[in-house]
Amino acid sequence: MERPPIEPIRTSQELSFLNDQQLDNLQEATLRVLETTGVQFPSQKALAIFAGHGAEVDDDSQIVKIPRELVFKAMSTIPRYFTLGARDPEFDLKLQEGISFFTNDGCGHNVIDFKTGERRASRKDDVGMMARINDYLSSMAFSWTMVSAQDCGVTSPLHELDVTWKNNTKHYQSVTMMGEIICRYGVEMATVLRGSLEEVRRRPPISLIVCTIAPLMQDKEAIEGALVLGEAGIPIVVMSMPTLGTTAPAAYAGALVIGDAEVISATVLMQLANPGTPVFHSILHAWADPRTGAYVGYPLDSRVRYAPVEMAHHWGMPALGGAFGTESPALDSWRSAAEVTTDPLLVALAGAEIVTGIGLRDTYTLLYPEAIILDDDIYHRARYSLMDMEVNPETLAVDVIDIVKPGGHFLGQKHTRKHMRTAMVRSVSHQINEKGKYRHPVEYAREKVKWIMDNHHPEPPSENVQDEINRIIANAEKELIE
Amino acid sequence: MSEELIGKLKQAVIDGEPEDAEIFAKQALDQSVDPLDCINLGLTPGIQEVGELFSKGDYYLPELIIGADAMKAALDILEPALVSGQEREVVGRVVLGTVAGDLHEIGKTLVGTMLTANGFLVTDIGVDQNSEAFVAAIKENKADIVGASALLTTTMLQQKKLIEALESAGIRDSVKVMIGGAPVTDLYAQEIGADGYAEDAISAVDIAYRLMDAPV
Repeated sequence: MERPPIEPIRTSQELSFLNDQQLDNLQEATLRVLETTGVQFPSQKALAIFAGHGAEVDDDSQIVKIPRELVFKAMSTIPRYFTLGARDPEFDLKLQEGISFFTNDGCGHNVIDFKTGERRASRKDDVGMMARINDYLSSMAFSWTMVSAQDCGVTSPLHELDVTWKNNTKHYQSVTMMGEIICRYGVEMATVLRGSLEEVRRRPPISLIVCTIAPLMQDKEAIEGALVLGEAGIPIVVMSMPTLGTTAPAAYAGALVIGDAEVISATVLMQLANPGTPVFHSILHAWADPRTGAYVGYPLDSRVRYAPVEMAHHWGMPALGGAFGTESPALDSWRSAAEVTTDPLLVALAGAEIVTGIGLRDTYTLLYPEAIILDDDIYHRARYSLMDMEVNPETLAVDVIDIVKPGGHFLGQKHTRKHMRTAMVRSVSHQINEKGKYRHPVEYAREKVKWIMDNHHPEPPSENVQDEINRIIANAEKELIE
Repeated sequence: MSEELIGKLKQAVIDGEPEDAEIFAKQALDQSVDPLDCINLGLTPGIQEVGELFSKGDYYLPELIIGADAMKAALDILEPALVSGQEREVVGRVVLGTVAGDLHEIGKTLVGTMLTANGFLVTDIGVDQNSEAFVAAIKENKADIVGASALLTTTMLQQKKLIEALESAGIRDSVKVMIGGAPVTDLYAQEIGADGYAEDAISAVDIAYRLMDAPV
């Protein structure tokens, strides 16, 4: 069966939310926070690295203050572009200007079961199912942990990696690996898959996303896990999720500064520990409802939701942009589309190198397997909107217009026959049934999920590799449970 | 030789090549091939295959229209050569037009093409046609079905006038009336006493078969 290629969003257009002066002011504010306020690193390992490079470390508070000279020195080793390796070399992603690679959302924990329609906790087989669907969809350039394998206990991040590889041949970015031990086993699994650590470094088949804790704190497990992966040359995404009004100032610029200081302080650590470690910058801020304190991802005004991408580039870093992730718990309500529909357009115009997160509902927590097909449609609408338009004698068709004349029609023209099939690209709203009637998008989406599961069977890792992976997971379980 | 030419005529319709269809039709007459054989064994199976390919989703609207154009190009040459008494085999005879005051053509044209591709003999009288023109065409072509298209709420009233005109002319019982167009509904068709309503060209074929009591 033919496998669809990856179709990233390509555009020669670029949208700037911030001008150079604003970007300089934001960067200066971040530097001041890093120098004067500092960031908490609850990790002896991290504190030792900072102290060894001349940062001001307070062992009691675990707060690190980083002089700007040290920031710039560390940031000088960060690679701007690199390759995210895939299991299948055809799906390797070479980061470059003008291309945004998207993936699914993560990491949900509730599932509306595809067969029974009942709501339940997510499982390892859900991870595998969504990895398989991801592998088939052209919108998906790489794979994210879409839901957690809650049936697998403390080693669930390794089980998620295992079941993803069985069902997916693209690059995998883990959203759940935490801590030195789990990450060490993750590196071992990647090494088994590639055959050597050198190959892992050359074409890393996995990467890891770690989150900071706003305001201005790092997570011990996240940071120490990231250091393990960084040592193996495996790319890291440092993501901050400040909330305006509660964990960040209620002014947008201030929230950006909080997020930026968290991301940059972790990035500096990665570079000091292992110069040249590939790191993505990411800030996914939200708002606190001023009456209830509720987490709001999609208020009416989110003009500068994609400004963090420009801040990343101002630092010379690639960016992970956040898109989708509606607050709506419904599969196909007006809200579930309205809140996110401009997301892929804006984030691609901002120039994010990689982008999450297609296909979850209820603020990144709820999986309807068929939602990914509906959101895939929103993605492709953005992709087509940003394509260059062909204007040449063939497409201008002036001769054909002259043949048809006023009041005629174009259906009988060979030019129409040649172009009409591709002139209109069918959305999920325009899938026709045998009687020529348009089908309900959800019915089509469910059918497509079923079709992919029945017909798409990516090549799993070899038996030898699988045996090794099973052994590694067994060892990890033994070590962690003991 | 005649079989080869008839095969070429059929293929010209399937491939949607009106110029070729015209050339082969002329060659057939030059070589004294029976024009009725050319139609019944070449053009008709050709357009039926086009219709089947369209139904299966392999062909799109342009292939359908150009196939019908190819058939028409050949018919324009072959039909005048039919000897008296010779007639094409057809499912039924249809007169089709857009009502008075309405210049919209494409919907009616699509219906005509679909009916042609499914074995009907269609006479398209064009747009902006008053009831008198419809009545005259029905009589002249001995139509089994008349199809009246209207795309405006202001002109759909003409569909009712057409039915009244058919009654006045004393031919309402001998011709079935199909109506269509964007503002037209099944309910409206019932209200004005039409025999059938089709919301698109594909369902128009089913309606026409039903009105002819022919198997769909």
